[in-house]
Amino acid sequence: MTHINAVSFTIVIVLFAVVTLAGFAAARWRRAESILHLNEWGLGGRSFGTFVTWFLLGGDLYTAYTFIAVPALVYGTGAAGFYALSYTIMVFPIVLVFAPRLWSIARVHGYVTPADFVRGRYGSRGLALAVAGTGILATMPYIALQLVGIQAVLTVLGVGGTSGNGFIRDLPLLIAFIILAAYTFFSGLRAPALIAFVKDTLVYVMVIVAVLYIPTKLGGWGHIFGTASTHLKATNPKTHKPFGSLIVLPAGEWAYATLALGSALALFMYPHAITGVFAAKRRNVIRRNMAMLPLYSIVLGLIALLGYMALATPAVNAGVKAGGGNAQLSVPLLFEHMFPSWFAGIGYSAIVIGALVPAAIMSIAAANLFTRNIYKEFFRPEASPAEQTRVAQFVSLIVKAGALVFVLALPKTFSINLQLLGGIWILQTFPSIVAGLYTRWFHRWALVIGWAAAMVYGTIQAYRAPVAGQPNSHFGTSTAPVFGHVMYIAIAAFVLNLAIAIVGTVVFRALRLPEGADETLPHQFTADPAAAAAAPVPATAAVPGTRPGSPSAT
Amino acid sequence: MVQPQRRARNPLSTAVAAVLLLVGVIGAFWVPIYARSAPKLGDFPFFYWFQLIWMPVVMVLCYVAYLLMRTSPAAADNANGAPATDGQGAK
Repeated sequence: MTHINAVSFTIVIVLFAVVTLAGFAAARWRRAESILHLNEWGLGGRSFGTFVTWFLLGGDLYTAYTFIAVPALVYGTGAAGFYALSYTIMVFPIVLVFAPRLWSIARVHGYVTPADFVRGRYGSRGLALAVAGTGILATMPYIALQLVGIQAVLTVLGVGGTSGNGFIRDLPLLIAFIILAAYTFFSGLRAPALIAFVKDTLVYVMVIVAVLYIPTKLGGWGHIFGTASTHLKATNPKTHKPFGSLIVLPAGEWAYATLALGSALALFMYPHAITGVFAAKRRNVIRRNMAMLPLYSIVLGLIALLGYMALATPAVNAGVKAGGGNAQLSVPLLFEHMFPSWFAGIGYSAIVIGALVPAAIMSIAAANLFTRNIYKEFFRPEASPAEQTRVAQFVSLIVKAGALVFVLALPKTFSINLQLLGGIWILQTFPSIVAGLYTRWFHRWALVIGWAAAMVYGTIQAYRAPVAGQPNSHFGTSTAPVFGHVMYIAIAAFVLNLAIAIVGTVVFRALRLPEGADETLPHQFTADPAAAAAAPVPATAAVPGTRPGSPSAT
Repeated sequence: MVQPQRRARNPLSTAVAAVLLLVGVIGAFWVPIYARSAPKLGDFPFFYWFQLIWMPVVMVLCYVAYLLMRTSPAAADNANGAPATDGQGAK
């Protein structure tokens, strides 16, 4: 790790240059008359078909977190880390149910963000603000997580990483992020959509080669699983318990299942996932993608197994130990020791570019939220589409800078838990968004109170969760004992949220507290207009059935 | 012009789609089903190969559910309140 591997490094630089060019060129791809409209900058013209959407969502959802943190968790704890696979199995059947409705209503009314929908459905600025704020809050650590992925690669490449001088150490990361920020600024969502093709191709190549080639060098899968089992059974000197297990133990089943379910319910509440959905051209594009995206999940399962391959490679174990026990180095180290330099370079590039795509989409999604639901809603209701777009462009820069500070100021070892704290928060917007797609029964204030209580509860529980073997430490894990079962905090908070929303609604309805105006109509949730609503119309002035020639329904 | 291929969603196909999706989710959520090491497939403990195989199974389930739930363009135009034979919307 002390010297720079010239071959690997060159390949990373060349591929990084390729995606940089693609990122800037994307501004001309499927060019609109003007990019100064959030439908264009923020949603790629709402024009993506099945194929582009598949790459975009795949590139968006399977992030550097996938390549670094999941195998790292498997490396550290064994079977428990595999919840990520179970999670991505569950997510698509669930999302297939409600995402088409969300797409339709957004298309008819020109909604750019999930909070736009909540605003229109419940006529509540407060609830929309809660949803938008949660989205931004949850997205920030997620962007930071992408940086952690890049950092792990840079460390193994010998660039920066462990160098003493803080500025020099962070310089490569800084440069990568400035370039990313620049093309996101100019090209908007088209940049990550185009780069996603490069990213996903690299990832598929990397994974297929890794899974076929590495086991032959390590003496086969039997040896890999055997070594992993022995390692995991050994006693961890810090906790005086085994490191983990090869199969989930009965005591861990509840945590495994709730982590998977909670993450699956939460995934499409994230602004960046919804942005990918809203950018699709037709309703069936969404449905088809839910059947096609699990292909990435198979890749994720194989990537998780890289954690065991790393465990079976003594040189990797030595390298992780030398890196201060940082398990996130395990996959980059595995590439370094198993592959020839040139192919290791391809693997590193897959991770680095795999971080750029979601980071770009996340910053765009957060910028859309800020612009639509905070800036326009509370400060400049008369803001023109062009002004909104300019604001979003600059906010996307600020969001990225914020994430950079996040990652440089906080310890990196528990990035997966950091992301899971965001997961706890974002799941609390589920009742407002998803229930709203089916019913107006819930009272807006009850939803706000349920959300607030769950946010506080979830954050406190996460704060109180100690790091294994270190009592009185905080944010150690995303699970906590609830009624005798160790489970994902987000699910416990979600149940609390829902219970309060239901009780609150009954009470508020009995008191006849005013409900907000609902601008949506039942048939709009199944509509499939080919043309996007011309402009993100002000929520209050939205005309139902904006499709030309449709009879006014009200 | 879009031919009106009305595929009014009937309750039965919706119910079948719902069951298929539910099976997909439960197969992953019900951890005791697969939290075991035997039977092995090659060197892979059951826990691993079951989840890796359940993934393509869920793909198929989702695709069948999509076929059952999809709206034809004509039906969708109908839902928008426009005449079903209006082909203008295809642009």
